[in-house]
Amino acid sequence: MAAILEIDDINGGLLLQISGLGGASLMNCYQCQKCTSGCPVASRADLKPHEVVRLMQMDQWETVLSSRFIWECTSCHTCGTRCPQEVDIASLNDALRVKSRASARVIPDTAVPVLNEIFLSAIRKRGRVHELSLMAAFKLRTMRLFADFNKVPMMISKRKLPFLGPRIGHRREREAMFLRAQRGER
Amino acid sequence: MSYVFFPGCSLDGTAKDFHVSTMAVASKLGLDIPELKDWICCGSTAAHSSDPLLADALPAKNLSMAEGRTVAVACASCYSRLKMANSHIASDAAVRAKVAAVIGSDYDGQTPVLHFLELLCRDVGRSRIAEAVRRPLSGLKVACYYGCLLSRPPGITKFDDAENPMLMDQLIETIGATPVDWPHKTECCGASYSISDTSIVLQLSNEILSMAKAAGVDCIATACPLCQLNLDMRQKDVEAEYSKSYNLPVFYFTQLLGLALGCSAGELSLRSMVVAPQPVLSRLGLPV
Repeated sequence: MAAILEIDDINGGLLLQISGLGGASLMNCYQCQKCTSGCPVASRADLKPHEVVRLMQMDQWETVLSSRFIWECTSCHTCGTRCPQEVDIASLNDALRVKSRASARVIPDTAVPVLNEIFLSAIRKRGRVHELSLMAAFKLRTMRLFADFNKVPMMISKRKLPFLGPRIGHRREREAMFLRAQRGER
Repeated sequence: MSYVFFPGCSLDGTAKDFHVSTMAVASKLGLDIPELKDWICCGSTAAHSSDPLLADALPAKNLSMAEGRTVAVACASCYSRLKMANSHIASDAAVRAKVAAVIGSDYDGQTPVLHFLELLCRDVGRSRIAEAVRRPLSGLKVACYYGCLLSRPPGITKFDDAENPMLMDQLIETIGATPVDWPHKTECCGASYSISDTSIVLQLSNEILSMAKAAGVDCIATACPLCQLNLDMRQKDVEAEYSKSYNLPVFYFTQLLGLALGCSAGELSLRSMVVAPQPVLSRLGLPV
């Protein structure tokens, strides 16, 4: 069962509180490094999964929240699947990403949070994500105007990029739902 | 069993061919899978990495509209998000209450969710599929690539063995092709970093393509829009970055199944594939 990890007050002692059924405490980690052995991005990241857990155990949250690793983790769940202590590192990373943004510690040169933001605002407006609009908005925000430019005509000819987005209505209802979600977070 | 189909956003765009071929296969097998009316995006990676409540609420909104039917999913990411939300909501009353407050109705987390592979192998059954085969894909060597989210986390998806899933291999065998044993069945392709951090995708997809090539296959079969997109559309970029030559067609498993069931290339949208499948298919005397 996945643990739901909530980071407590950022200045308060042990950072993590774990709720949810069967989720193991980060304190159960004994640094066997099985997570890191199977992690697809461990070889390129500034921190490795077992180091993230160790740093959290030692209350070194600043290093973790400003790490590149949390934005390079692909959420593939190999770490937690193989962990003999059932520490759910992928879900931990989700909580760390939220806190990294909230405390303005996101590394400067990642575009991942920008894409997430554009993606969620697309759902809010349209209900579904229209990939062509999503990519256009992302390129404008990050000024990566020419990345993959050569792929656009090819994808259109292969009917992978319809020009028109879906229209499903219910926008007001959805807007209210997103507002309630924002309130629910607090 | 009564089903309702949740396509997800990719199946209306970059994975249109997955959508088309899934419906073509369903029709050949006499399955009735109407689309869930007014479905909305599951939230995908963007929601779970930035807003845990929304990440449960968006799937819950969809699942609460299924009216007791089993929700069939083709996209591995949608599948993962719907199952995660079910698990969180069914196991934690506080999460259930918070989600209810957001979506405006109480949802219990009990709507069954099945991936189309599970539906085919478990509900329809391999013997019924074997009977429907019109053109066995004899001689086609296939690397079945499952990616991350079907089999992990195993406690939540309950899909198959987490390290060595076999459902797709069994299906491929049923239609007369030869699934190979290879080590990268469940390795990650880099998924949504395709847009936001492409270098990760090039590195990981290169490892998968090189392992498939080393296993001597004719093609790769996928069950996820992002896996297919990364291995197919980015294959040329991977080859350029790592000075390799793969030239491996990357099918959705539904396209291969559809070919065996007698669907035409058009019905399966084979022209949407970037790495051309024609050389491999014409060698086997299949329609291109």
